[in-house]
Amino acid sequence: MQNDVVYLDHAATTPLDERVLEAMLPHLGRAPNGSPRGNPSSLHAPGVFAREAVEEARASVARLVGADDPGEILFTAGGTESDNLAVLGLAAADPDKKHVVISVVEHPAVREAAAHLEVAGYEVTSIGVDADGLVSPVELAGALRPDTALAAVMWANNEVGAVQPIEEIAAICQEVRVPLHVDAVQAAGRLPIDVSRIPVSTLALSAHKLYGPQGVGALYARGDIELEPVLFGGGQEKGLRSGTENVAGIAGFGEAARLAYEELADRTRHEEALREALISGATGIPGVRLNGHREKRLSSNIHVSVEGVDAESLVLFLDALGCAVGSGSACASSTAGHKASPILLAMARTPEEAISSIRITVGKDTTQQEVNTFLDSFATAVTQLRELSPLYTSKN
Amino acid sequence: MTNNYNPRVIDHLVRPRNAGELEAPSGVGESGDAACGDVARFTVRIEENHLEEIRYKVYGCVACIAAGSALSELVWSKPLPEAARVSKVDLENALGGPLPAGKEHALTLVLDALHKALEDHWNRQAGEMLVEGYAGGFGRGTNGRKSVVAAMSGGVDSAVTALLLKEAGYDVVTVTFRLHDGERGSRSCCSPDTVLFARDTAHRMGLPHFTLNLKELFDRRVMKDFVGSYAAGRTPNPCVSCNAHVKFHAASFLADRLGFHNVATGHYARVVEEPGGAVTMARPADASKDQTYVLWPVPGELLSRTIFPLGEYRKEEVRRIAEERGLAVAYTPESQDICFIPDGNYRGFVRKKVAAEPGEIVDKGGRTLGKHAGVVDFTVGQRRGIGVSAPTPLYVTEVRPSQNQVVVGRRKDLEVREVCVGDLNWFLDCGEADSVQVRYNSAPVSCEIEDLGDGEVRARLAEPVMGVAPGQSAVFYKGDRMVGGGVVRQDA
Repeated sequence: MQNDVVYLDHAATTPLDERVLEAMLPHLGRAPNGSPRGNPSSLHAPGVFAREAVEEARASVARLVGADDPGEILFTAGGTESDNLAVLGLAAADPDKKHVVISVVEHPAVREAAAHLEVAGYEVTSIGVDADGLVSPVELAGALRPDTALAAVMWANNEVGAVQPIEEIAAICQEVRVPLHVDAVQAAGRLPIDVSRIPVSTLALSAHKLYGPQGVGALYARGDIELEPVLFGGGQEKGLRSGTENVAGIAGFGEAARLAYEELADRTRHEEALREALISGATGIPGVRLNGHREKRLSSNIHVSVEGVDAESLVLFLDALGCAVGSGSACASSTAGHKASPILLAMARTPEEAISSIRITVGKDTTQQEVNTFLDSFATAVTQLRELSPLYTSKN
Repeated sequence: MTNNYNPRVIDHLVRPRNAGELEAPSGVGESGDAACGDVARFTVRIEENHLEEIRYKVYGCVACIAAGSALSELVWSKPLPEAARVSKVDLENALGGPLPAGKEHALTLVLDALHKALEDHWNRQAGEMLVEGYAGGFGRGTNGRKSVVAAMSGGVDSAVTALLLKEAGYDVVTVTFRLHDGERGSRSCCSPDTVLFARDTAHRMGLPHFTLNLKELFDRRVMKDFVGSYAAGRTPNPCVSCNAHVKFHAASFLADRLGFHNVATGHYARVVEEPGGAVTMARPADASKDQTYVLWPVPGELLSRTIFPLGEYRKEEVRRIAEERGLAVAYTPESQDICFIPDGNYRGFVRKKVAAEPGEIVDKGGRTLGKHAGVVDFTVGQRRGIGVSAPTPLYVTEVRPSQNQVVVGRRKDLEVREVCVGDLNWFLDCGEADSVQVRYNSAPVSCEIEDLGDGEVRARLAEPVMGVAPGQSAVFYKGDRMVGGGVVRQDA
């Protein structure tokens, strides 16, 4: 791969921050005092060194989401595991209730966990979104029932970047005492999150979306919530997530969370400026249309349908020109063949629009120069692919 | 199998070769549709059987764009048979190896678009021939080599035919005719999927493959005749009509255009030259597969350039050859039904095309026995579905469309001792005939022939024959040699 890649796929994963790497190294066999690696469950000094790193990270992650008690943070192996633990664990904790409500735009980690419950005899209600990708709190309220075991609505959508009205949704769920799980994997580090103010029950996080390492996540679980584990073993993380902790990863996550908390306002301001430049540049080309709400969207996200162009061809053309962007979400695009994103279809986009959509996501270190380079490459790729198409005729 | 594209594919994506569209092409072909996400379009300029220039356009995934680009390079400036030989494997090799899983459709898509452009070229060349029938001088090409155009239906017989010819040292070009729209996904011959299958089969044998669009000719000469026969109270044989006007003519047209000498099909029959030099057909080695009966109308000029390699083989041997050579067609089912009616419901097909008026069922004395829903539902000799109960089984003995009547009688009433035959096609002198066959797979009956003039003969049969229906073929033989054939007259 070239070194001068313009990386605009931060929603898929972010680069590892140098400061985060520094925080991880002591736990990858480079302890400054020469201490051997320890297990956080061990009583001896190396064990204490590891345990202290984990607890320090727990405090940082708790602060990032506004949790009063760091004990409400459980470390996992990533966003998917956190989502699974929340959906399956909340359902198992109240076994008499056999109904689950999710939004149609949830990440597959939530959708598939709900589908798993459906196979086990649960009824799953999927609530739709409007043309901007937003969930209606009124529709959600109408879907909740006395036998609803949980509701799940993501804070910000991973594909089109739509930011959901979580505050209203949480209030509705609290009122009828239905546990609410919120996937905040994309939101954390880009939006202020304060669970002390917004009464969510569980909240999923992932380190590699905020400049931390891959393979580490966390689940915030409110202190008074009932949750059953999905992994069984040594009883780590209060018995809710057995397995020896990924100490280096957790230490990195902690540092990434600390930096995200401290730099949140600067990052958001920086990203928003680049986002606006990208939106006006990209949609300045005829037949390029922005998907998702114009204002209620992540600071990092641009998602466009490019008329007359196949997304895979556009993404790989841009790749060949040195620009890395996403087609739909990385999960949806890794499967072979044309699979229209269910999220775009839920937003009443045509299949043609859905298979011609790409996602461009900036990061805290993206530069205006990179945005300009990208816009040039984008125009080149779109023009050439449209010229090659036997179907596209310009509507000038 | 990898999930990534190799660098050669990406190079074709970013620097597509021969992209665009020719302004005055000699052929245009398009495959795929926007709904399934991929469309390929080729324009070609062909001069003297050379693909002089090619341009392509693709909307779709990377694999389709790259495959279109690589294909245009592979066939650029090639003689047509060479271009038509380029296979999915060749294309994959040109792209640097297998495509990612799930992307193989790209190869099929671009090859199909190119082949449709070549088909368009032939169809423009053919002009009226593909509507009126090939009236050309049947001039044989002489390129100095043994060369043959072999018709490929996609079944085992035609595949082995092409293979045997190739192994016998012929330059072989295969051709599949688009005869009707069929039903997509059906195994009926000539349906769109069957064309793709036939192309694959030819390419696996390393043979060029062309398609010709004969839908209009086939509709006019075969399907309309089929429907019209029922309405006129005759029993049609669409295979006979096709052999009379379509298949051999089209193969000969292509052979002439390519400068090829012979044509071949997978029929079980033999072409023989009599001592006097006359060319005719003889029954094949596998008597149970004898298809000479439906081949009688092939014009003599065409028959004399025709090769039927399977005439010397038994069906089991043909399947064994296909198996040994690893042809996927070895296990294709035997086709039984009329190719454009794959479900075998002839009545349903005819009824969709012609209005049926209810009428009377009468006996030969004119007494009304019942009602029918339309004469198109009946052919002479039919026993089932008459809808009149009687102590002895009733048979249709005559269909009278002009009076909208169906005449029924006993089995004995179906017996005939003489048959009047018109629309004759003789390979040998008609006086040489010693027997006549009036149905596919029935035994020939000894006969004497009387020339009635006006292109008709009367055959006096040595023994009575049941159910000779107007419209059927009557084919005359001398021993195992075909003397000629014709169509049973209405007033026989």
